[in-house]
Amino acid sequence: MRCLRMLVRILVLLYLAGAPALAQTLCQPNASNGYRVRISIKTALGNQAYEWNENEMFLFRATMAFAMRRYYKTETYNVDNIIVCNQTRRVSFWFVVISPENPTMLIPKADVEKAVSMSRHRINNAFLLTDRTLEFLGIYPTLAEPVNPDTPPWLIVFGVVIGAVFAGIIALLVSSLLQKRRKEKGMMEDGQDEEDRQMKGVENGINLDGIYNRGFTDDDRFTKL
Amino acid sequence: MGKDAARAEWDNPMQFVLACVSYAVGLGNVWRFPYLCQMHGGGGFLIPYLLMLVLLGVPLFYMELAIGQKMRLGSIGAWRAINPYLGGVGLASVVTSMYLCLYYNVINAWSFWYLFHSFQSVLPWAECPVNSNLTGHVEECERATPTQYFFYRETLDISGSIEENGGIHMGQALCLLLAWMIVYLFIVKGVKSTGKVVYFTATFPYLVLIIYLIRGVTLHGAINGVKYMFTPKMEQLANPTTWINAATQIFFSLGLGFGSLIAFASYNQYNNNFEKQAIVVSMVNSSTSIFASIVTFSIYGFKATFNYESCLERVRLLLLNTFDLAEDTISLENVIHWIAELNRTHPEQFASLGGRLETCDLEAELDTAVEGTGLAFIVYSEAIKNMPVSQLWSVLYFIMLLLLGMGSMLGNVIAVITPLSDLKFISRYMSTKTLNGLVCLFCLLLGLGFTTHSGNYWFTMFNDYGATFSLLFIVLIEVITVCYIYGIKRFEKDVEDMLGHRLNCYWKIMLAGVSPILLIALFIFYIVNYIQGGTPTYQAWNKELGKSVVTEYPPYAQAFIGLLLASSVCCIPLTALYTYCKKRNLASGKRERTVSTVSA
Repeated sequence: MRCLRMLVRILVLLYLAGAPALAQTLCQPNASNGYRVRISIKTALGNQAYEWNENEMFLFRATMAFAMRRYYKTETYNVDNIIVCNQTRRVSFWFVVISPENPTMLIPKADVEKAVSMSRHRINNAFLLTDRTLEFLGIYPTLAEPVNPDTPPWLIVFGVVIGAVFAGIIALLVSSLLQKRRKEKGMMEDGQDEEDRQMKGVENGINLDGIYNRGFTDDDRFTKL
Repeated sequence: MGKDAARAEWDNPMQFVLACVSYAVGLGNVWRFPYLCQMHGGGGFLIPYLLMLVLLGVPLFYMELAIGQKMRLGSIGAWRAINPYLGGVGLASVVTSMYLCLYYNVINAWSFWYLFHSFQSVLPWAECPVNSNLTGHVEECERATPTQYFFYRETLDISGSIEENGGIHMGQALCLLLAWMIVYLFIVKGVKSTGKVVYFTATFPYLVLIIYLIRGVTLHGAINGVKYMFTPKMEQLANPTTWINAATQIFFSLGLGFGSLIAFASYNQYNNNFEKQAIVVSMVNSSTSIFASIVTFSIYGFKATFNYESCLERVRLLLLNTFDLAEDTISLENVIHWIAELNRTHPEQFASLGGRLETCDLEAELDTAVEGTGLAFIVYSEAIKNMPVSQLWSVLYFIMLLLLGMGSMLGNVIAVITPLSDLKFISRYMSTKTLNGLVCLFCLLLGLGFTTHSGNYWFTMFNDYGATFSLLFIVLIEVITVCYIYGIKRFEKDVEDMLGHRLNCYWKIMLAGVSPILLIALFIFYIVNYIQGGTPTYQAWNKELGKSVVTEYPPYAQAFIGLLLASSVCCIPLTALYTYCKKRNLASGKRERTVSTVSA
């Protein structure tokens, strides 16, 4: 019995020792089920950029575990299930996700992609980055749905302007019509005076400012007997 | 002159000057002159330009104002009064102005479209729209740029060639309707309403230009553009095209030959001092061109620097990603240095970059000279979208374009309406308001043809052929008529009658000698150029490639070009022939009557 227990303990120890090594072989650059991540902190944050260190890496693995939990709607995923390798100075690395039940099995690429797409916004925000500065090479960000208002905004401005112009035209036409009517009414009341004044005329562009002598008016119509 | 007893007049000479300024200072000052400056050696271009202004521009401008003020009639009546056989000159002017009216307001329609689209949180030409399954951007936009896509696809919805007509673009048609309604509003009461409007249309663009100048020169990289413009390349002066382009620019910029100046001047007081005004308006027009080109070049410089730095940024990212270097090793300043360094240290990996590595060249960016609608609507809007608070700058810019365009439109429409309203059989049956309304409606309906899918190609045809060659011919006949057929002596006496002093030597020499010679030279050059050019071509937008390709006009379009040219030019000989026949009939009729009375 004791021998059996010791054998199991040795096997467990070997397994625990070997697991990381096994895990490391699972994560490789250009792995079939792995994704490459590229992070550009300085581009995104400029002066307020933080240093990329082991703690940040831990946060990344935790966020990825969170994404897997959210996608599968289970609580079995943990930080250990996310394996990272081949980190460069650029700050880029490869990661794979291993299944919590079976540590030798990798979660397929398509599922990882769906999980990442689902929680992309949360992952970005955890690092104060954007789709462009936290890149998952191979996973394209879904672009925001274009906002389609019921009436295009340009039509509203157009409506206002054309309404104002139309009102202006009507106002001008009506005012000149009223002016003409007033002048006609005024002419009928004044009668002869208007006609005489209009005969003053313009010669060579210079107004004749003399007074018209009514003695020479053609007023036969009044003296006809 | 009894019929002129009630002729409308400008309220004061200032209105006349502002109307001329508003007409002459138009879109050409903003989008053609900077292009010519760039093509023909920057600051050095000013020499032929100012020389042509003095030799050609000012004397011809003076002559047109003198004719209008003396005859107090629109172009048809004025030329008929000068010489009955050459009344066709006025008719040709009206026909050319009519063509201009048809297509010029379409530019205003585009300005309205862009203006209304500026009232959005993100300018629609700033980014590519997303495609239907939200995976990426629309393909055509990816291949071209967002500003080109917005102009060619969303504004014009342009077809692949002039043959594919398509339907009318409703948004464009609405904007054209608005543009014509505004033109009608400005001219409905004749010069009484126009005179008030020009206070605004002549002065406000300057305000916007000054604001833009201040904004422009403070932009990052603007100094590159201004330096590029003003560095003179004197060797361009040896190129005859430089001189010809300078002459053509002065000629078209002042709006000679359309009859607008004659129409404006016909509403003047008889003794108005148009000599001073002619000089003032010509100077203002040219200085505005130079001023506008400073603004344009500072914006060019900004755009070129922006594109250059974006290019450097892309190269920097490419290098960082390929060689996995830490982010802060390469900065924008030492990208070039690093390219050489990495090529030396990692040659195979560097070679694998291949075509993805772009060469970023500031000079090449500045060299992309654009003119016309491409400059105004594509290049400028690209620069504006990168400015902070871009909506404000966009609104200001398109309002300025609108004012410049509307000011010129006023001149064009008045050039058509004045001679028509002078004709007795029209003024008897309808009032000015009705006539104005009918002309605007007619132009609107025909102008809808330019809002179809192939409308832009027809627009370009009208722009290139409708008013260029015919104008040269018209003004040449005008100058020869005034100086040699009417006689420079009679002209001198008329001017003395109006102004009170005689024509001095400058005017006499220019009008009778230098200007006709220059015009004949220009005319010959145009004909030679046209013949040598082979089949006329146009730029068709190819949506697969995302750029314009040079295409030949189909035969019916070429025939139409011929018709455009012939229709205005033929007015002159045909009217001369008609007048000759009428005079002969009248003379033979009189002879018959005298014979009969003698015999009786």
